[in-house]
Parts: sequence; C-alpha cells; structure tokens
Amino acid sequence: MRISPLYQGKEIKPPWLRLPVGLRDWAPEELAALRAVEGRLRRSFEAWGYQEVATPALEYLDTWSRGMGSRRPASLFVVVDRTGELLALRPEMTVPVARFVATRWRGGVARLYYVGSVFRGDPGRGNSREFPQAGAERVGDGGPDADAEVVALAVEALQQAGVRAVRVGLGHAGFLRALLDAAGLGDGGPVAQEALYRRDFVTLSSLLDTAPADVRRVVLDLPSLRGAEALGRARALGVGREALEELEAVVEALRPYGVDGAVEVDLGIIRDFDYYTGLVLEAYAAGSGAPLLGGGRYDQLLERFGSPQPAVGFAVHVERVLAACGQAAAPAPALQVAYDAPSRHRALAWAQRARAAGLRVAAGPGEGEGPGPRVSFRGQEVWWVEPDGSRRPITAADLDALLEGRTP
Amino acid sequence: MKPLVVALPSGRLLRDAIRLLRAAGYRGTDGEDRSLVWQWGELTVIVAKPVDLLTYVERGAADCGVVGKDVLLEQAHEVYELVDLGFGRCRGVVALPAIRRHLWEDPRQHLRVATKYPRVAERFFWERGRPVEIVQLYGSVELAPRVGLSDGILDLVMTGATLRANGLVEVAEVFQSTARLVVNPVSLRTRSEAVQELVARLTQAVQEVP
Repeated sequence: MRISPLYQGKEIKPPWLRLPVGLRDWAPEELAALRAVEGRLRRSFEAWGYQEVATPALEYLDTWSRGMGSRRPASLFVVVDRTGELLALRPEMTVPVARFVATRWRGGVARLYYVGSVFRGDPGRGNSREFPQAGAERVGDGGPDADAEVVALAVEALQQAGVRAVRVGLGHAGFLRALLDAAGLGDGGPVAQEALYRRDFVTLSSLLDTAPADVRRVVLDLPSLRGAEALGRARALGVGREALEELEAVVEALRPYGVDGAVEVDLGIIRDFDYYTGLVLEAYAAGSGAPLLGGGRYDQLLERFGSPQPAVGFAVHVERVLAACGQAAAPAPALQVAYDAPSRHRALAWAQRARAAGLRVAAGPGEGEGPGPRVSFRGQEVWWVEPDGSRRPITAADLDALLEGRTP
Repeated sequence: MKPLVVALPSGRLLRDAIRLLRAAGYRGTDGEDRSLVWQWGELTVIVAKPVDLLTYVERGAADCGVVGKDVLLEQAHEVYELVDLGFGRCRGVVALPAIRRHLWEDPRQHLRVATKYPRVAERFFWERGRPVEIVQLYGSVELAPRVGLSDGILDLVMTGATLRANGLVEVAEVFQSTARLVVNPVSLRTRSEAVQELVARLTQAVQEVP
C-alpha cells in the first residue's frame, strides 16, 4: 500500500504499526485497572444471583435493526457474510441478551449479566469505536419488585466499583409519552417527540405554544423536574397517572435496599421512547461529563424475537466508571527468577514449585530485569535481589519460606 | 464550590454573549483580554471556537455553553438546549447565482452546493430527494460559485449583503438560527442549583434586553 506522508522528509508509520482511528490497545497496567473495575461489577452482579452470558460479537444487521428500532446507531461496523447477508459488530448487548432469552432460555425469570466490548462505526468527535460495557438484565417479570432490584443493583454495582457520590435518577418513558399526548399536538406529535429526544427545549417551547398551559409548563420544566417534589408536581397535572403510580411503586419497593440517599426521581431523563416502555434510569457522578450507566424497562423487545416477556436492565459504560474511580493501585510485579547455565535446572524446577504454590513467577536466564524483587540462582548459590539492586545470599529454608509467601 | 464553567464562542457571537452575561448580572474581566479563561465571580468563562464548543460541553469540560443553532443542527450532540438567547439571528439558505436561479426550479436538476454545513445540506437535499453533490468548505463559501467550484451555496445570511455583492439570490430557506444556551446532561443534575440560576438569570436578561 502506498502512503503519502503528511510532512515531506518526515517518516510516518506504515499502517501495520498504527491502529485504525478510534481503536486502542490496553497496556497491562491500563488493562489491570479496567479489569479491576470489571471484576468489581461482576462481583456485584454475581452477588445478586445474576449469571454471566456471552453472545457473539457479530450478528445479522437485521437483528440490530429489529431489536433497536430507531435507537440503532446510524453507523455500525458491517461485514458481508459468505452468503451475502450483512452482519454487524454489536453496538450494544441488550438486544442479543433478549434474543438469547427468546430463543434459548428454558422458562422462568432470567437474571443475566454480560461484560464485553461494543462497537460503533463512526462515533463522531473523536470518541472510541470500541468500548467496554457491562450490564445486567432481568427478563421474565414486570412490576415494581423487578424494577427496584435492578435500580438497587445499579447503585450497588457503581458503589462497589469505587464511584463516590453515585446519583441514580429514575424517570418513566410512559410519563413523557402521556405528556406529549396531553399537549394535543396532532400531526406535530412526532416532531415534538423528536425535539424532546434531542433535548431541544427551545423548539419544544415553540411547538407547545398551542398546548394547555399547565402541560407546556411541565414539559419545559422537565430538565429540572426531579427530587422530592417532582412526583407531586407531575401528579397535580393529572397526566400519565399510571406511569407516575408505577414510578412511585418502584420508589416504595426500593426502601428495603437502603439506597435512598443515592436515588431520586428525575422525570427529565430522556431515553428512546420507542424502546423503553416504563422505568428509565441513568447514573451520574461529579467529574464525569456523561452518564455512567443507562437503562430501563423494555417490555416489547422480547416480543420482536417471538417471545413476549417483560424485561428490565441497564448497561454500564465501564471506561467512564474507571475515570470516575480515579487510579487503582498497580498490581505487584511478578517474582523474577534469574539463573546462569549451571543453575538453570535447579532454578526452573524451583520456579515450577513456586507457581504450583500460587506465586506469579517470570523466569529467564541472565541477571533478570524490570521492577520487583528477584531470586537469582548463580551456580550453587542463591541470591535475593531487591528492586534497588542490593543483594544478599539466601538459603534453601528461605526458598521454602518464599513458597509460603514470606519474603526472606 | 467549584465555579460553573461557561463556554462562549469566539467570533461573531462573542460580543453579544458577554453583553448578555453582564445584563444577567455577572461581572468580570473585559472581553478585550487575550486570555481564553476568565474568572467572573461564581462563573469561569472560557472562550472556544464555535465548532469546538459542543465538544467542551458534551464532555463536561464546560458545564454550559453558548452556541449558534446552526452548530447544533450541524453537529450530533447530547447536550440540553435550554434557552433561546435571541441574539446572533441569521438564516441558513440555499443561494444560486441570479443568472442560474432557474436551476432550482427543476427538482431533478443535479446541483453542486458548497457549504460549511455538510450534514445539514445532506439532510436538506436528501429529505427532498434532490440530487446533489456537496462541497465542504471552511469559509468564504460565496466564492465557490463565482469560480465554478459549485453551482450554488448553502450558507448563513444575516443582512443578505454578502449574497448581493456576489450576485447570489436566495432560493430556499433551510433553517433559522439564534444563539442558544446548552447544558451538559450531568452538570444539569450534579450542578443543578448553579445551572438553574444561570438559566433563570439569562432567561430574564433575554426578556429585558431587546
């Protein structure tokens, strides 16, 4: 492949030394921090009886279109299958989990979680095209108990992951829909819905000129319609009563979980109306410019895959959680075992014993290098070498102590 | 409490944006300062390129921002658009050289259109099913038809003087634009009181300053 350099005379790297735009490597210390967060999320999910499920990275493009509807990102990574059908890399994980439950699950409530990468073809403004996601889905039952469990799990998962001052907002897709219906816009309804979805309150304000004044007021107040009084204010309007009752029941059902301090009603949470049918939730933390997680109840998704069932869940943007947690402590480096030719057999045999005892051991000829302590086999002698280079001879008893995790 | 960060756009909207902040009772260094970060009491005011503004707000580097509707239409974003600030009024139009305005009358006519708003242009022509080739430029768009780079332009007009000076006539209005107050969705919640106060004071100032 021919490459035309941007700057004459300046060497630019060939493609095989670079990465496509929007994709990245995770170096060991970066990955360790990511895995630590993922591990803490996993532990929360497991602790609540959720089981991990994995689905393929590629599915039919039709699956995404059918499952996500208007929520499907315009830009996916698409490949042509050998049969000519189009496949796309997964842009999210709720649809495949729903498809999995609809086609493979044998009855009963499914509590499932996933951890993996999702992909976008063109994320815009320099965002990533592959990013790690983790999430939980509870499929098979509706009602406030299921909603409350998922909300409480969202709070706990973020808190356990190390996010300080988690705030989870609870809204309702049905309330927003009822509110727009009550505005009586007729043919203007879809335009208003689109404006609301784009969070364009300036356009909404002019579209709602003809709407009942109290409805208009509440729509325009959505960005601040949260907290203790939000439900009361919304109820006073007499619109979307059923949705508000549902939301109230979720708040009530949440009480035993002891997460009240982190959860508030936030009727201004705007997520896709075509997809979410009830509760919607988002989590925020100071210092993260975007929500850490989002989700809600999607009672019509499973039906699209032939198995009508209610479901509720959320997806965590793991990189944002990682950023909100600050830096985790770097893991300790592995123990190094260095040897010369005469001690090679003895050194490697001891390294095998050490690994069997549960130590992380990197063995090699020479003097050893890198951070961390070393055990250096020289002829009949064995030395303990500190990271700063200071060394002292050690005995067979010291080597045995090392196997038990005691530093000589 | 950390000051609320408000991003203002450099260029044509800056002077009016500063004037509005003053009318809303915020006080600080004058805009003549070459620095791009000003402390205005409870606000930190930063000045960014209009095309970059949504990036600052969307990523939370700024809590709020002032940006033209034209930019909001052109760039995908996830910010809340809360207040029409009224100033910076202009329109996005399609314009053709007067001698070629007949090209617009035939909707089957393929047009080459130069613009700073490729996404808006793409959507406008696509929705109408009109064949088009979009030529993206970064400024002085009115030059393009004069030198045969395009048949016409899609650009902002304020008074229409630039169009006239270049022998162009408006054939269609695409959008109307004014400056808007936008807010990061997380700041809206985690800095709720400060944001609400800014919104209230600006809304009031907009109504008072014609």
